Amino acid sequence: MEYWILFGTFVFLLFIGTPIAFCLGVASFATVVYLDLPPVVIFQRLNSGVSVFALMAIPFFIYAGELMVRGDIARRLVALAGAMVGHFKGGLGQVNILTSVMFGGISGSAAADTSAIGGIMIGQMEKRGYDVDYAVAVTVTSSMIALMLPPSHNLIIYSIAAGGKLSIADLFTAGIIPGFILASSLMIAAWIMARRRDYPTEPFEGWAMVGRLFINALPGLILVAIIFGGVRSGIFTASESSCIAVVYALFATFIAYRTLSWEAFVGATLGAVRTTAMVLLVIGCAAGFGWLLAYLKIPAELVEFMQGISDNPIVVLLLINVTLLMLGTFMDMSPLIVITTPIFLPVAMAFGVDPVHFGIILILNLGIGLCTPPVGTVLFVGCAVGKISIWEVMRSIGPFYIAAVFTLMLVTFIPALSLWLPALFR
Amino acid sequence: EIMLKASDTHPDGYPTVEGVKAMGKMLEEKTDGRICIEMFHSAQLGEEKDTIEQTQFGVIDLNRVSFGPFNNIIPETQIPSLPYIFRSVDHMHKVMDGEIGGEILGAFSDHDLIALTSYDAGSRSFYNSQKPITSLEDLAGMKFRVMQSDLFVDMVGALGANATPMPYGEVYSGIQTGVIDGAENNWPSYESSGHFEVAGYYTLDQHLMVPEVLVMSKMTWDKLSEEDQKLVMEAAKESTAVQRKLWAEREAESEEKVRAAGNEIITDIDKTPFIEAMAPVYEKYVTDEKLKDLVARIQAVE
Amino acid sequence: MQDFMRSVARVTGLIGRIALYLSGIGLVIMTAMIAAQVFWRYVLNDSIVWTEPGSVMVMGWFIFLGAAVGVREGYHLSFDVLLMVLPMRVKLWLYSISDMVVVAFGFGMIWYGGQLIEKTYKNTIPSLGISGAFDFLPLVGGGVLLILFSLERLARRAAGMPTARFGETVDEDELNGLVPANRIEEKG
Ligand code: NA
Ligand code: NA
Repeated sequence: MEYWILFGTFVFLLFIGTPIAFCLGVASFATVVYLDLPPVVIFQRLNSGVSVFALMAIPFFIYAGELMVRGDIARRLVALAGAMVGHFKGGLGQVNILTSVMFGGISGSAAADTSAIGGIMIGQMEKRGYDVDYAVAVTVTSSMIALMLPPSHNLIIYSIAAGGKLSIADLFTAGIIPGFILASSLMIAAWIMARRRDYPTEPFEGWAMVGRLFINALPGLILVAIIFGGVRSGIFTASESSCIAVVYALFATFIAYRTLSWEAFVGATLGAVRTTAMVLLVIGCAAGFGWLLAYLKIPAELVEFMQGISDNPIVVLLLINVTLLMLGTFMDMSPLIVITTPIFLPVAMAFGVDPVHFGIILILNLGIGLCTPPVGTVLFVGCAVGKISIWEVMRSIGPFYIAAVFTLMLVTFIPALSLWLPALFR
Repeated sequence: EIMLKASDTHPDGYPTVEGVKAMGKMLEEKTDGRICIEMFHSAQLGEEKDTIEQTQFGVIDLNRVSFGPFNNIIPETQIPSLPYIFRSVDHMHKVMDGEIGGEILGAFSDHDLIALTSYDAGSRSFYNSQKPITSLEDLAGMKFRVMQSDLFVDMVGALGANATPMPYGEVYSGIQTGVIDGAENNWPSYESSGHFEVAGYYTLDQHLMVPEVLVMSKMTWDKLSEEDQKLVMEAAKESTAVQRKLWAEREAESEEKVRAAGNEIITDIDKTPFIEAMAPVYEKYVTDEKLKDLVARIQAVE
Repeated sequence: MQDFMRSVARVTGLIGRIALYLSGIGLVIMTAMIAAQVFWRYVLNDSIVWTEPGSVMVMGWFIFLGAAVGVREGYHLSFDVLLMVLPMRVKLWLYSISDMVVVAFGFGMIWYGGQLIEKTYKNTIPSLGISGAFDFLPLVGGGVLLILFSLERLARRAAGMPTARFGETVDEDELNGLVPANRIEEKG
């Protein structure tokens, strides 16, 4: 009965449009009341769920990303990518993807990536004769790269959802190779589509131009180096280096380049507050939900159930992948990370999967969900920026889905892609 | 049928987890399965501070926790947490199993908790990557990671070193990159965290010998019949022996591994100046007469 | 009724804006605290011990205040695909149930936050030296605002006025506390 109350209340509230955080919180509240436990435990979990020092990296990374977007850094990165790969077939599609590789390292957020790069690139691509649905499809799917490359705040959420004992540096490092594989697969998909549709090519303006634009884009690139270098070397904790990133972003945009006005600064601050409050409230409410899952021993039962189905880790991982993909098509990333990690991580670990490897699988999997209907934040943002409907984008997005799922399979079944690089650093 | 839910932040197989499990088995045998214990290990129900509150509210029945989180709640718990208060493990056992230990455990009952027994957590000593530390002069100016606790920070400060509160997970790379010179912990943690790989010098100054405590929610306790209360208390006390044995084995195992790795273990130090340096710390934390009396009586235990 | 709700909206809008700006200041303070912690450690070779617990407490405030304002402005993640196919009248009822549930949760935050405060006010928080009750104040403060803003939503809907809809993309440039047209529920 308690399962029905927990999941039933959650699904009912979800369907009537209650914010996901409250779906989680109220469902746990109701279940605890039913079980005749003191309800105070849910609110205690809510409070301690958001009082975690490591979580602080999330507001800071989001804040740094906001400052960079509003401080003109995203545009400079687009310009650099343009000079580097614009002369390939369907060059602006390639530029879009390469920018996501560079910008992903700054924003770490697929939605920020889509709105920032989409805002600059989609109109530009349209003017050069690209179909808008293609432009939106490239922008949306390539923003998945941001989830894999440091500093992905989703990996921090995962590390906390996994009990806070996974090294954030290892997770950051583990995402790099899968991130580049994803970028390459998407570039190939974009190139095939560009040939079929005969999209234009930009002139190559010479290495001198690349150099000039590189220097121009340097503040953004340095930020990536600070964050990754700081966390990886252990000189700073993730929370500290994200804070350094904010200080640096402020210094670069406010003082050194003077590209950030006071209004833009206030906008970036309040924007970061809104996004973080939204994400972290979900995490807090999920802490109560996760507590109940543990209290009711649901993960342990699921492990037993899965072991009953198969003793083959490949089959189990495939099952988990399909489940996550399905969940991802109708829910958002951060709530899914915090809900599914305590459920699936014990299962994966019982089958011998490394928790760092599982994190990368999980993020990529849910990342695909961000770009698929009916609910995909990134897809929504892309469509809003390109001013077209979700169904129109579906005309061009197929090959990109294939590229992403192909990457997902590679990453799932070849653990070394995720684990080789972190092991090298240790 | 009574099912007691127990929480521990340590993983399955850890001496404290196994200790509580052993207590469960004893209870089950004594009551023909009427009372049993369901264990939630690995911090499944939350970190210590959270599970303590949950135990106070009666959500969790049994909880194995360190003294540390109680220091700001129950003044008496500060006493066994004082640096160099115990001369040896035997001294600590004698104190905790005796009248003084009973008094300290008794203080929990004002906070909706019944302290059943105390467990071993070994002794903590300094390790570092720089040099063998044998005296206070060696410690001067070195940077050591400590837990986020005023007492720890003050203790390291009083020894002339620099305390750096830092999350546990960052310590390894912190030592490796020279952000900190070292940290302090017991044998099993020094070994299992891998810190012994980067910090080759372990000085057994045994500055802290803080036992751990097994508490029961007062709400649960009050629901038990007097007879059951007695059974629970007995089983808890008996589980202490099991836990201490497991702990000693674990310690020996870790020590063997570390020694096999060729680390330099410094045992031959004169602790007197270290103990003398603690005077200001004792002055700051042992404030009222009751606590001063406790300290004096502990020191008087042979 | 509508006129009354419009004057209410001016007050709640002001409260929401103050809460949001306080949260923004909180974020800047957090940045300053952690930056100071790093500076002290690496440049001055010394440690500040209160910045970590201090900034975590500031974070609690800004999350709960920011989350409450999110209820007013509609910037929470949600899933309202099912509602697309339902008639408007039914939808408005469901929205109201949802708001009432949030009110109940807000009461929970205040009531049980109060219990936690009662249990912990005698404790001191390590490194900060203040009462343990401070840990739970943001929970209570957020709960109060949550109830206020949810009740406003209910009252506005009853008066036939639009309220912000959840689950649409976050419009971060929207600073004036007004709700942009694309995120408003249709009127009943
Ligand atoms: Na892109
Ligand atoms: Na989706």
